[in-house]
Amino acid sequence: MNSPNLPDPFGDTPGSPAHESLPADQGGPGAVPAWSVPEQPLPQQSAYPVVPAGEPGLPAQGAPPSPGTPGGFGLQRADRLTAGEVRSVAFARASLGRRGLDEDHVRAFLLRVENELVQLGNEKAALAEEVAQLRERLGSAGPDGRGGMAHEEAHFQAVRILSSAQQTADLYVADAERYTRELAHEARLHREAILSDARGRAELMLEEAQQRAADVAERAARSAAAAEQALHDQALREQSPHDRPGPSSGTAMEPVGQGAHLTQTSLSADERQSMEREIAYLRTYSDVYRTHLRSYLEALLRNVDEWENSERAALPDRP
Amino acid sequence: MDAQRLKDNFAQVAQQGDAVALFFYSDLFVRNPHLRDMFPIGMSGQRDKLLRALGRIVSQVDDLPRLVPFLQQLGRDHRKFGIVAEHYPHVGASLVRTLKYFSGPDWTPELEQDWGAAYGVLAQVMQEAADEDALSTPPWWEGRVLGVERRRFDLAVIRVEPDRQLSYLPGQSVAVELPSRLRQWRFYSMANAPRPDNTVDFHVRLVDGGGVSPVLVRALQPGDRLRMGAPIGTLVLDEASPRNVLLVAGSTGLAPLKAILEQLAQRAAPPPVRLYFGARTRDALYDLEDLRKRAAELPWLTVVATVSDEAPPPPGGSFAMDVRPGPNGALVQVPAPGSGPHDTDIEYGALPDVLARQGSWHGHDAYVCGPAGMVTSTVEQLVRLGVEHSRIRYETFVDSER
Repeated sequence: MNSPNLPDPFGDTPGSPAHESLPADQGGPGAVPAWSVPEQPLPQQSAYPVVPAGEPGLPAQGAPPSPGTPGGFGLQRADRLTAGEVRSVAFARASLGRRGLDEDHVRAFLLRVENELVQLGNEKAALAEEVAQLRERLGSAGPDGRGGMAHEEAHFQAVRILSSAQQTADLYVADAERYTRELAHEARLHREAILSDARGRAELMLEEAQQRAADVAERAARSAAAAEQALHDQALREQSPHDRPGPSSGTAMEPVGQGAHLTQTSLSADERQSMEREIAYLRTYSDVYRTHLRSYLEALLRNVDEWENSERAALPDRP
Repeated sequence: MDAQRLKDNFAQVAQQGDAVALFFYSDLFVRNPHLRDMFPIGMSGQRDKLLRALGRIVSQVDDLPRLVPFLQQLGRDHRKFGIVAEHYPHVGASLVRTLKYFSGPDWTPELEQDWGAAYGVLAQVMQEAADEDALSTPPWWEGRVLGVERRRFDLAVIRVEPDRQLSYLPGQSVAVELPSRLRQWRFYSMANAPRPDNTVDFHVRLVDGGGVSPVLVRALQPGDRLRMGAPIGTLVLDEASPRNVLLVAGSTGLAPLKAILEQLAQRAAPPPVRLYFGARTRDALYDLEDLRKRAAELPWLTVVATVSDEAPPPPGGSFAMDVRPGPNGALVQVPAPGSGPHDTDIEYGALPDVLARQGSWHGHDAYVCGPAGMVTSTVEQLVRLGVEHSRIRYETFVDSER
């Protein structure tokens, strides 16, 4: 405190702090001492910038802090303590009758120094934080970049891209599924149609064969009945000349009581022939229909085989 | 942990629906590209599953006695996908990021902490169950196809020999994966009680447009390989019950019930069993021949086949008839040879209606399996017909089972 440069507190008051900052910035130590060029004599009571920080009233006009000074960040601070100010501080002498400097004045100045140091520390921490953030932002492109805004944005971008790619894939899968489902459904309907058609045809064939056979059988039965009647009549006629049938009868005729047997066994050769012809015809007819039916069904089976083979060939994943 | 806060937050996020799951998986894969291969190409089904599981977990987050068994099963189930402990933190991180993203300004550090804690518990329960399971069973079984019997163009019975002992309860099922359809798992029930030779049968119906069933039915050949997960399922026989048994099967829903039937047959004194085997058409009764054979051998077993979508054949004259010479020389119609038992002795109508014709089913244990609609209507009908609901065990085809 007992600086050798202490100026005369009376009269030679130092310039305003604002003025003082100029030489400090421009030339640092060695610049023109402020007290030697007092430009603006200030009133005594406000000669010392020992007012609490923030209190207005100090002359700040003329020289805002340069960006290089701590106060250069954010708002301009008029109440900042400067190096030049410290260098040039001039304490008032103690009042008459006491020795040394004005104690209150010194204390106030110390308080101001302390405030300044605290503020400097805070500002340093804030700057360090900002530097770290900037570094992070820069480094996020690097291998260890994490957590920065740019990195997060890049991640969301990647997530969005992957999401839309996945949605596209899902769409294709769903389309392919729907397509195969529709194809299979159509094939199923086709199969039903083929089967029902086959059933219809087969039924028709059988019905026709049946009808035919029934007609044949009917005719055969009718002719058999007619033949029987004829035989019966003949037998009666043959019987009448001989009044009695008897063991003496030399014919192959059976007794009358067994007329039924007689008529059946004695079916005339003509009738037998006719019936055999009918039966042969019927057999042929049935054979023809069976052949038709078989070839039709075989064609259907071939159809199904082809279908299966092509389906198997269409499955690509057989090892 | 504030359960209500989690529920509220999830309810809010879940309003975004599919987008939430989409973001989750994309985030997971962007950060961990190696995990992508563990999932199928198409992810729609996967996202649905995720949201359903999350919804269930969150709704029970304050009901641990119910939640824990679910998580344990989930953990065991995930072994077959090749999920190991190191995957869990990645999933948890993506989950929290997803929730945060969709919560927007409502996200708070407390929420983040709660979700982190909740996921930690979840992952721990799942992992512990998986680890415990790993002591006794492999994550999956490799199977070799021994035979493929195609019963109709879209129905096949497949016999598989697992590479290791596969222990299961009759009525249970396994997830199946084919080498040509990786990451697509489909559940199929074993259609037999465990055999000494360890082989199992699967009944497969081709689902149009399906990813797996067409390959199983149309392309599978003896010697082919497939992979099976651990057996699961609750459609199993109540062994302690002395009641009569009713089995109701729709289509390939027959498989688990046939396994249960075989288990019943192993009892010293099997109870009376009635098996209803239903299909839409006669030619879809793919296993009726075998069932009829069993019924002929087992006095306690009655088999009833039902057909829902076809009318009974008109009396006298149909495709199934043939013409033969009769004893009196005239030609008569007789049943066609080879038409087999399929066309005789079949009940016509929907399964519930056929069951109702029988009258009361009071006092029976019922087991029902088949398509969802058939199972629902059958269970309702059985309750009306006097079966206690608690005495009915049932299972439906999973939608994805194709």
